[in-house]
Amino acid sequence: MNPRVSICLALYRRLASAYPHEFRMLYGGDLDRLGEDAIPEVSRRYGLLGLLRLLADISIRLPATYFTEIRQDTVYALRKLAQSPGFTAVAVLSLAIGIGMCCVALSESQSIAGPPPGVRDPAALVTIRGQVSYPYFERYRDQHQAVANATAFLGLVPFAVAFTGDKHTRAERIYGHLVSPEYFTTLGVTPAAGRFFAPETEKPGMPPVVVISDRFWRKHLGADPLAVGRTLRLNGSMATIVGIGPKDFLGIWPANPADLFVPLTCAGSLAPELGGDPLHAQDREIFRVVFRLPQGVPIPAAEAALDAATRSLDRENGIQNDRDRKGRVVRLIPAGTVMYMTPDLTAYIRTFNIVLWTLVLSLLCANLASLLLARGSQRRREIAVRLSVGASRPRLVRQFLTESVLLSFSGGVAGIALAYGLARAINSMPVPSATPFEFNCQPDFHVLAITLAVALAAGIGFGLAPALSSVRADIGLTLKQGAQAPLVGYRRFGLRNLFVVGQMTASLMLLLLTWYMVTGFLNSAHLDPGFETANLNLISLDPVRDGYSAEATAALLSGLPEELSRVTGVRGVTLTDSVPFAGLAAEQANTRVSASAGAGKTGQVLHAVFRERIGAGYFVTLGVPLLGGREFDRRDQQLDDSSETKGAPAIPAILNQTAAHELFGAEEPIGRRVREGEMNYTVVGLTHDVQSGLLMTKTVATVFLPLTASAFRSNPAQRATILVRGSAGRDTLTAVRRQLASLHPDLTIFNVHTMQEDLDRMNSFVKWDSAIYVILGLFALLLASIGLGGVTAYAVVRRRKEIGIRMALGAGSRQVQGLVMREGTVLVVVGSVLGLGGGLTLWRVLSSASDVLARTFSKRADDPLLFYGAPLLLAGLAMLACYLPARRATDIDPVSALREE
Amino acid sequence: MSRDPRDFLPIHNNWFHILLSLVGAEQHGYGIMQEVLERTNGTVRLWPATLYGSLKRLIGDGLIEESDERPVAELDDARRRYYKLTKLGRTVLELECERLQEMVRMMQKKRKQEAY
Repeated sequence: MNPRVSICLALYRRLASAYPHEFRMLYGGDLDRLGEDAIPEVSRRYGLLGLLRLLADISIRLPATYFTEIRQDTVYALRKLAQSPGFTAVAVLSLAIGIGMCCVALSESQSIAGPPPGVRDPAALVTIRGQVSYPYFERYRDQHQAVANATAFLGLVPFAVAFTGDKHTRAERIYGHLVSPEYFTTLGVTPAAGRFFAPETEKPGMPPVVVISDRFWRKHLGADPLAVGRTLRLNGSMATIVGIGPKDFLGIWPANPADLFVPLTCAGSLAPELGGDPLHAQDREIFRVVFRLPQGVPIPAAEAALDAATRSLDRENGIQNDRDRKGRVVRLIPAGTVMYMTPDLTAYIRTFNIVLWTLVLSLLCANLASLLLARGSQRRREIAVRLSVGASRPRLVRQFLTESVLLSFSGGVAGIALAYGLARAINSMPVPSATPFEFNCQPDFHVLAITLAVALAAGIGFGLAPALSSVRADIGLTLKQGAQAPLVGYRRFGLRNLFVVGQMTASLMLLLLTWYMVTGFLNSAHLDPGFETANLNLISLDPVRDGYSAEATAALLSGLPEELSRVTGVRGVTLTDSVPFAGLAAEQANTRVSASAGAGKTGQVLHAVFRERIGAGYFVTLGVPLLGGREFDRRDQQLDDSSETKGAPAIPAILNQTAAHELFGAEEPIGRRVREGEMNYTVVGLTHDVQSGLLMTKTVATVFLPLTASAFRSNPAQRATILVRGSAGRDTLTAVRRQLASLHPDLTIFNVHTMQEDLDRMNSFVKWDSAIYVILGLFALLLASIGLGGVTAYAVVRRRKEIGIRMALGAGSRQVQGLVMREGTVLVVVGSVLGLGGGLTLWRVLSSASDVLARTFSKRADDPLLFYGAPLLLAGLAMLACYLPARRATDIDPVSALREE
Repeated sequence: MSRDPRDFLPIHNNWFHILLSLVGAEQHGYGIMQEVLERTNGTVRLWPATLYGSLKRLIGDGLIEESDERPVAELDDARRRYYKLTKLGRTVLELECERLQEMVRMMQKKRKQEAY
């Protein structure tokens, strides 16, 4: 034979033998024979080109034939899935919810802990936990072995920004950072236009300059190409724009976005925060510092160097700083995240979310596994029939694979859609916060890919497992015994039951954790505000930024309550420097208070105390009765608490119960002296604990100090809030605004709202958060019940003949039900015990890992409602899921069950 | 329920040639291939894989079927399969021929009009 022909024939045979099994069964021989006939004739007629054409034809047709089969498989799979809509809906929905929620939660933690946009190599950035004074920062900056670059900044700080020089233009309140010249070099940011700051250019006494963000440039300056060189009026002073930041850059921690960057060297008139020359004050610990570590220097080494520098500075200045548990006065934490993250918060976000979502994902996989395994077993007879009429094993396996892929894929697509929907909902959720807080949650591609891959692998793996074992099974036996023939590799109390126990355990753990979370949240949501919120209005003012001098501000604020109390309908007016229920206020106003033990000695020291400066009549206006003593009056506001002078009257302070108890124990606090900062105060009053802020189920020690004129001078006051108590049925707020506008037309007022709105905003946030966890808990319950129900239903099918025989021999329906439920009960009990143990262990581990979690979780792990309620609820539902197929078992007609096989 | 023969119109060129080859005689694959080649003076060649793809579809749609009758033993090859037209196949082929004739008539009419 012509060698060309024989080579072509060999290739043709090879390709023909690769056709799908069923095609080969029908046309295989014919196709071979045709090739043998045609190839010599084609060679004769068309030569080599003809042979190549013939081979090309079969090479193209081969994949097309497979494609046709896959299409048939898909259509068949869709028909099969449509035949059992319950199974399909449960599988797709549970996949979708599981994938969607897992993905969005992990993406959320990823985006909170993720790097800030526009910053070079954020992993090398660290910050000192807490705040430091500027002279200390200057010493740190010189530690060149430990740090490559360092910057100090104040922020967020508000600016009253006007776009024209005209003093009567209405100013907008925009937030920014007051930064040391090294800010941008440390962060590794390059300007999109103009220049940034440098130690050479930014010197005290230079004309004020400002760098604006790209966002500010677009939103407020209409992307003006000539923006660099323009002037803005900031807090009443003119400042020249020298540079524009790169796209997306909103400062080091963009969760609290900064649009303006002003050098710290600017005058105190431009930034009231810089009043009193904090750049040279050792005791003004108000600056955040960020370091860029040199390559190869780990955080502990840098921390040790900075710690040594701090101690030597402390010695020089005669300051006694407390060391932490590891003997350090300085703690470095990673700074390259979108928000300032204390290790606590990091632990909360990383550990808790990951633990929670691993549980959800494994629950989902276990549920899918038991559903698919049960379904696979039910279809063993179908497989046996198809095998016996000539279907190939690979084809059957492929059929099952198609179904699993289809199922997992639809669940995956729905899950991705859900993830995007949830992310959008989370982004649109109002976050109760006094300063701007922006958070952009986008489903993370890696998280999405991993979650999807796990779910798909589980779906495909568990869908394929029964098919693989079924096609290996003895066809004859299966046909005879139906669904009851033993599966290769599966024992009676095997894998499926193991999955159910795993599922019960995981879902109970999840239920307990979410329950802890929700009760914790609800505790903080349903907290008693401690005062009457009706008709209480809040108006914020910032006279300093409207160009008022410190003296004018003090005069204005001391006169305001009286001016406003004359407005009709106003029942009371008072001032405060912070807002009750300011939301996520955990970092605000942290100060240290110590009790004087007499004779110049220091007694008990409290480290994390909330300091609130309040005006006269604060508690009366709020409607909070004092537990003892008196509250501040107008005379207290006239006192000077900027420095201590001998013989001056003592400055009063009011403590809440927690602070009093922690400082003085059971002793009477009134009349005692306490020290805050550099000043001594005399306790004149004692008030109830009023909870403030979110995640604060523990009440926090609070010291109330009078809002004095000097406080306004020395304190970098962010603003003052006027609290106005109106009368029911009157629009007091409008009247007060009108009065303010007529008396002080140059005053910008902002954040005008009622206390009730504040509370509602916070409650809606809490409700939202709780709702997510409630959904999660219910999801766990539902999945576990479905899983158990499915397995029990499968057991009934499997034991149909046995039940038939028992009933034929006289077993009653109760006995049959008992028989079916016994197996389910064992699974439920084992799962509940494991889940309860696991849940409590997780609660302990997580609480000790994160203080935020410990505060958020409800206080008692052994809350009887939780401890007995959760397992009982789950077990109850599971038993119900078990009971339904058990009842169906009693409907089995013994005669037909026996005859059927 | 059998499909309406009109649903198949117009039929694919390859299908037309295969159906035409089976009119009046049962054929095996190679036979069909040869007949089409001769009838079209070598212009239409049904390559083996294409031919069997079409045969499978034609059987699936019920236009042809496998024949049980086989030639005498000495001429037979057990591997070969023989195909014949079904009633539906015959109808579809006739309808297709009518359709083509109608088109030819239309064209001729148009030409005559142009000639005037």
